[in-house]
Amino acid sequence: MIVDAHVRLGRGREVALEADQLLATMDALGIDVALVAPDERCIAYDNRAGNEHVAAAAAASEGRLIPYAVANPWRGRAALDELERARDAGARALNVDSVLQGFDLLDGLLDPLLDFAADAGWPVYVRTGTPPSALPLPLAALARRWPGTPFVMGRSGATDFWIDAAPALRHAPNLYGDTSYAPWDTVLVELGRDPQIGPSRLVFSTDAPYTVPSSELRRVLDWPVDDDARRDVLGGTILRLLDPALH
Amino acid sequence: MIDFHTHTPAWRTASWLGGVPFGADEFVAFMDSAGIEQALVLSHDGLFDATPEANDDLAAFVGRYPRRLIGFGTVHPRRADAPAEVDRMLNRLGLRGLKLHPWLQGFSMHELALDPICEVLAQSGGILLSHDGTPPYSTGGQIAALARRHPSLPVVLGHGGLHDTWREALAATIETPNLYICICGTPPYAAREILSRAPSHKVLFGTDAGLSDRKSQDYAVARVAEIDGWGISDEQRRAMLVDNPRALLAAGR
Ligand SMILES: [Zn+2]
Repeated sequence: MIVDAHVRLGRGREVALEADQLLATMDALGIDVALVAPDERCIAYDNRAGNEHVAAAAAASEGRLIPYAVANPWRGRAALDELERARDAGARALNVDSVLQGFDLLDGLLDPLLDFAADAGWPVYVRTGTPPSALPLPLAALARRWPGTPFVMGRSGATDFWIDAAPALRHAPNLYGDTSYAPWDTVLVELGRDPQIGPSRLVFSTDAPYTVPSSELRRVLDWPVDDDARRDVLGGTILRLLDPALH
Repeated sequence: MIDFHTHTPAWRTASWLGGVPFGADEFVAFMDSAGIEQALVLSHDGLFDATPEANDDLAAFVGRYPRRLIGFGTVHPRRADAPAEVDRMLNRLGLRGLKLHPWLQGFSMHELALDPICEVLAQSGGILLSHDGTPPYSTGGQIAALARRHPSLPVVLGHGGLHDTWREALAATIETPNLYICICGTPPYAAREILSRAPSHKVLFGTDAGLSDRKSQDYAVARVAEIDGWGISDEQRRAMLVDNPRALLAAGR
């Protein structure tokens, strides 16, 4: 079972991906399930349109696409209403991009949304790598305040904040790394052999449509780890985060 | 193809991103496995401790395969002997350019100490390649400002702006005649956009090989293979991998 933990559906500034195209790529690569987030515009501004779009794609996918919910935290109470609506439409996790949404991970704006995610039992994906407002260590500090919520450190700080990925993962045990962009023979081996981290704290994602998905998968398949660890990276871990009772 | 961004092992200094040591024979074997005919090999130890010995070591490494390997040394720009060392690098050691890594080495591109260094480099037909893509000291706009102070010196953005400043790197490349852009660690969607919008003779490609835990430099081989999935034309590919790096290296001489 291979699960792609992060894809964006729709039209970004330089990229586009629709569900039929995504499903065709998944078929070609042997990816069973993908977690899908709305596109850049809908993360930043039109949260409703984005949440409806990914919910519709998921509903038509026979279980292969799992929707993330987005809500710009500047919207306050309306953001929580939006998450509720998305949850009712099938969303299973919160997706956050503090650069597109224009806030600082530690300014408090996101806190009510994290309370909502905690109540809903949702994992939270936060894209990282962009200084200064989307970095691994502030995310770790935030994650420690919601110890029962799993946080995925999207892109693991790629690229020059890869150096902060290991300290962040050590600091917050409920934080998980993401394999996208990370070479196995530099970044992933370092995280995998760290006794406080290990491969099972990493989740595979293609980060489509920004990448070459076959190359993202190839890298994780080439990484010499044992079968149990690879199963976790390729889907076991993210499935447990989505549904601790079932896995 | 010509790989415009690789590194020697860190023989003396690295306590992070060091990778495994390898010799020139092993490096050329990696190049053969990835279809790389020539590689620009940048200083590695020198980025952590910019000594003349680091340039000597680099020159000895590339000297094993003078037709395959082209060396770019480094200096710390605030050292009074830096212009003389650049002269020695190019005119005595046979290196072809200067690599700077402003955030790792700890200086700003606006510091005037860089001017005599760039003058020596330009007079000797050298090329400057800088790390870019990372605030606060390594953005395309900052590097372009230095390039404008030295219009006869070819200046290369070593990482195409990486994930966060590639739009700035692209804009700086378009508006600065002597600025070139090397796609290296830049995400595929940004690489595609850079190739479609930058002046076609200015785009280069690099793998950043040399930092791997394997002598075979697996990630670098994968980065070359990944180009097949970028969705670019054969003309763009050939310009980036062959014609542009060849012309830039030839112009320096
Ligand atoms: Zn490099």
